[in-house]
Amino acid sequence: MSEEEIKNVIERGVESAAVTVQRAGRLVVTVPKAGAVAALILLKARGFEHLAAICCTDWLEDGQLELVYHLWSYTDRIHVMLSTRLPRTDPQTVTAMPVFQHAQTYEREIHEMYGVHFQGNPRLTPFLLDHWQGPPPMRRDFDTRNYVKESFGVEERVP
Amino acid sequence: MDREEILKTLKSPANWGQKYSLWAVYFCTGCGVVEIPPVITSRWDAERFGVLPMATPRQGNLFLITGYVSVKTLGAIIRTYDQMPDPKYVVGFGSCPVNGGMYWDSYNTIKHLDKYLPVDGWIAGCMPRPEAIFVAVVHLWQMIDKGIATGYERYKENYEFYEANQRRVLPHLPKFGGAETNEGPNG
Repeated sequence: MSEEEIKNVIERGVESAAVTVQRAGRLVVTVPKAGAVAALILLKARGFEHLAAICCTDWLEDGQLELVYHLWSYTDRIHVMLSTRLPRTDPQTVTAMPVFQHAQTYEREIHEMYGVHFQGNPRLTPFLLDHWQGPPPMRRDFDTRNYVKESFGVEERVP
Repeated sequence: MDREEILKTLKSPANWGQKYSLWAVYFCTGCGVVEIPPVITSRWDAERFGVLPMATPRQGNLFLITGYVSVKTLGAIIRTYDQMPDPKYVVGFGSCPVNGGMYWDSYNTIKHLDKYLPVDGWIAGCMPRPEAIFVAVVHLWQMIDKGIATGYERYKENYEFYEANQRRVLPHLPKFGGAETNEGPNG
């Protein structure tokens, strides 16, 4: 499939999806969060069998979190970035596990680092952090220096 | 030669024996450990200095903290250190154990290793060269000769201080009565 064919498939198949072809072999697909799993199913059926990563970005100014699913098609050699946005307060979305089972680990990490709740993921348990008590540390309003000062007792340097 | 004559030439046979049999615990934290394979193998050959790697902490006496120490790793370091027999020596390798290094404001990396364990010496730098390890070893010899490499004694004397700091970041360690329930990647 060519980039234009994929664009047509997604724009017809997923409600209010916007597709831009950045350059040959690279597509950015923006969908509302309700359509994310539908778009994943649609793309997987068309050869995008490799979910390489799920990224999360904190858009503090917009009050939103952005999830980006990176998909790769071995037959067409096309990279699709499927982007969806969630509200920053109480972010919830549906898990991608029924489509890509290994999404569990990515979602577990995003849950720990950004506090996104993935409905249907059975194992959103602590992953990399050790008995973390504070807020999700990768959010931009998390005050790292203050946390370091309080938990590790780093003294202020007096010049 | 009888026993009295040994003491004429050697002030302390025990120190003399200890300083040439340093067994470094195989424990890798952070990126500093990339310097350890060339140090212990043919390129720099740490055996010239009496340093050999030991796979288990219960037979080792030199503990090199190579690189940044995350909170999770600190738990393992404390458990390893507590298992080592006396006398034991801790050397902080690289700038990260000294003051956090480039992770000075990281949320998951401890900043001052000597708040949690007694450290006998530091090797500054990012990365220190393998030669720096030998400089440190020679310094450690001199400290053992003078009887000032006494971190393990300071640990016992000031255990309340170390324990309070350890408990502050790792309240769930088994030695503090907590259960280590953190689920690992496969747990």
